[in-house]
This record gives sequence, structure tokens and C-alpha cells, in this order.
Amino acid sequence: MTESPLVLEPLFRVGPVPITAPVVTTWAIMAATTLFVLFLRTRLSASPGKLQTAAELVTGAIEHQIGEVVEGDVTPYRALIGTIFLFILVANWTSLVPGIEPPTAHLETDAALALIVLAATIWFGIRANGLGGYLKTFAQPSWVMIPLNIVEQITRSFSLIVRLFGNIMSGVFVIGIILSLAGLFVPIPLMALELLTGAVQAYIFAILACVFIGAAVSGEPGESATPTRERDSA
Amino acid sequence: MQIDWWTLALQTINLLVLVWILGRFLFRPIAKTIEERQAAAARVVEDARLAREQAEAAEQQARREAAAAATARGAMLEEAAEQAKQEKERLLAEARDEAARLRQQGRAEIERMRKTEAEKFGSKASELAVDIARHLFMRLPDSARIDGFVEGLAKAIADLPDNVRAELGAHGAPVALKAARSLTPEEETSCRRAIVDALGRDIGIDIQIDPELIAGLEIEAPHAEVRNNFRADLDRIAQELSREGSDA
Repeated sequence: MTESPLVLEPLFRVGPVPITAPVVTTWAIMAATTLFVLFLRTRLSASPGKLQTAAELVTGAIEHQIGEVVEGDVTPYRALIGTIFLFILVANWTSLVPGIEPPTAHLETDAALALIVLAATIWFGIRANGLGGYLKTFAQPSWVMIPLNIVEQITRSFSLIVRLFGNIMSGVFVIGIILSLAGLFVPIPLMALELLTGAVQAYIFAILACVFIGAAVSGEPGESATPTRERDSA
Repeated sequence: MQIDWWTLALQTINLLVLVWILGRFLFRPIAKTIEERQAAAARVVEDARLAREQAEAAEQQARREAAAAATARGAMLEEAAEQAKQEKERLLAEARDEAARLRQQGRAEIERMRKTEAEKFGSKASELAVDIARHLFMRLPDSARIDGFVEGLAKAIADLPDNVRAELGAHGAPVALKAARSLTPEEETSCRRAIVDALGRDIGIDIQIDPELIAGLEIEAPHAEVRNNFRADLDRIAQELSREGSDA
């Protein structure tokens, strides 16, 4: 892997639209995920098997994590946060497939994720507090903070993008460099580490999205929103 | 740094589609399944709780009924015992009464038999006495069988009430004079004179012979009877003996 990760070459074009590798990989992930989900849906029963139990465990864990951060009903956020976590996790782990680059190793995918989180934050904030109430959160604790809060909204989205992109892209690069310099099996420990990194990054991204949404819903400005568990223990 | 905006737009759309797919076909069905299972478990727990409450209520009801049955059984036993006691006392009283009645009946029967036997013995004794007296009087002179009784007959007639005496021989009806044997003319005359003297007037006399008298005389009229003979005396003695035997 010698080309710049910041430059995407289209694999093919659909009319004027260039189709790049991250998009194709994402489609593959979507197709596999959809097939798996549809298969799992046909196997759902009151007496769960191993696969359903695992799916229920993941769903329950996601709901629990959302509930730790966001007050009230977690149902509206479950699909978004769960999809972000699962997609990032699967996308990060696609680096294990030879010849496949994780979509999250490219800036556009991370930016799309951050953009969706930003839009969801605004949407849930307005839905919970109304447009006026949500806009008032930018003036807290005083109107002087309005520019800083607006900048914070943008910068924290950029931090999401850069954090995920930097971690995954660097991992891919390091593995590629070592693979080009050393033997076939040398990068294996680094690939194992990349598995851990990918899972941690998926968790961090999903939790930060929860925190942003929770802060917007609770009317608290910026990233100063504290998870419920920490607030309760304080 | 260069951003491929087409890729950004496509990835955004892809992710939104994926959010919809997973939300529609994964998270919602699984959450629904979990909720249904939790609801079923809650129902099972609730049913178990209701069943336990029902079982406890049934157990308490059974205990109450058992206690009531035991109380009723005790009351019934006491009542039965009381009834048995009363029945026993009643049967004993009846047995005692029956025994007393039988005893009394036995006594009365014994008394009756004793009286019957006494009367029978008295009758036999009277007959024996009459036979003895008859045989003894047969050995006396015939005059003694009439003469000794004329005066007594006259006295008996005199002792009659006036109205009875007035009825004797009234309206010309003769008076029957029974004698133990046929009277001699002197004896007949003596008897007529004694009767007329006792009545104070003359009446017709029809003399009849009755050996059963043994000795003595007897007058029979529709409203009076005057007996002065041995047979009458023996009958009176026999009656007295029988009465005394019954009183004993």
C-alpha cells in the first residue's frame, strides 16, 4: 500500500458518479449485513438459539450503554448508535481480509459518520427541546459562549473524524509497511492489535455519539454532558 | 488533503440506508422478541404468583373446612353420646317398668291363682262340711230337723221390714214354705201358726219339700226370702270361709 490514503481513485463510474473502493466495500458490508440480518430474522423465536442469543446480547449491551448516557427511552437512538457501532466494527475488521481496505481508513466514510452524528444531534436536540430551546443551549452558561459552542459543535465532529481516521488509517499503513519490509507472518501481532483497536474505536465513536446526542437532548451545551452513571455517582 | 464529495455523499446515503435496515430488520425485531419474552416471563411469574395465592387460599380454605369438620364431628359425637345416654336411660326405664309390670302381673296372677285355689279348697271344704253335717244330721231324730227351726223362722219373719212383711202373701198369693222333709200334720200346723203369728195375719202357705236344706225351713216370696235351715247356714259359713281365705 503505497498510494496516499487521502486520494481515492474511482474503480468505475456510474454516469458522472465515481464509485470508489470504500463505497464498494461499504456496499459489500451492507449486503452481507442485510443477508445476515434477514437470515437471523427468520430464526427469531421465543426460545433463542446461540445466534439469536448473541444478537440479543449485543442489542442489550448497546441499549444498556445508551441508557447509561442518555436519559429516558433509548428506543429512538438504538438504531443509529447500534448501526454506527456495528458498521465501524465490521468496517475496521475488514482489514483482516486480504486486499480489502477498511472504509473507515478513508476520510469520506468517517466524515459521513460524523456528519450523520452531527445531524442526529441537532435533530434529537430540536425534537427534545424545540428549536428555541435547542438554540438556547448555545447561550449557556452565557451568551458570550455562543461562538465557542458553535465552534465546539464543529470541532468535536472533526475530532470524531480525525480520531477514527487516524487510528484506522495508521494501523493499515503500519501493517502495509511492515508487510512490505518483513515476512508474511510478521504483521500478525499488529493485525491482532488492529482488531482491538478497531473494536475500541467503534466503541469510542458510538459512545461519543451517545454523549453528543444525550447532551443535546438534556439541554446541556457541548461535550460537557456527563454520562448518567457519572452524574449519579457525583 | 482532498475530499471526494461523491464518495462522502454515497457513504452518507449508504450509512443512512444501513441505519434503516438494521433498525428495521435487526434491532426492532430483537427488541420486540426480548420484550415478548420478558412479558411472557412476567406472565409466567404472575401466573405462578396467582397460582401460589390460589393454592394458599385453597389450603387455608381446606384447613378451615377441616377445622369445621372436626368441630362438627365433635359436636355430632357429643350429640350421639348424649342421645345414646338418653336412649340407654329410656331403655333402662322401660325395662324397669316392664319388669315391674311383669312382676306386678305375676303377683296378681299368683294372687288370682291363690284365690282361685283358696276358693276351690273352700268350696271343697264347704262341700265336705255339708256332707259331714248332712251325715251327722241324718243321725238325729227327724223331729229335730224341723222343730228346732220353726221359732227361728218366725223370728226372722218378724225381723223383716214392715213393707217386705206386708208383701208376703199379699193379694192372696200363697207363700212357698220349703222343708227338708215332708212335714207331719203337727209340724205343718206349728209352722202355719208361727208364720201367722209373725206376720200378724193369715196367709196361704204352699209347703214344698227340698232335701237340700238338710234341716230347717225356708220361705220364698216374690220380694222376700227367709232362710232358716242348715243349708243356708252351711252356705253362709262356706262364704265366710272363702272370704277369710281370700283376705288372707
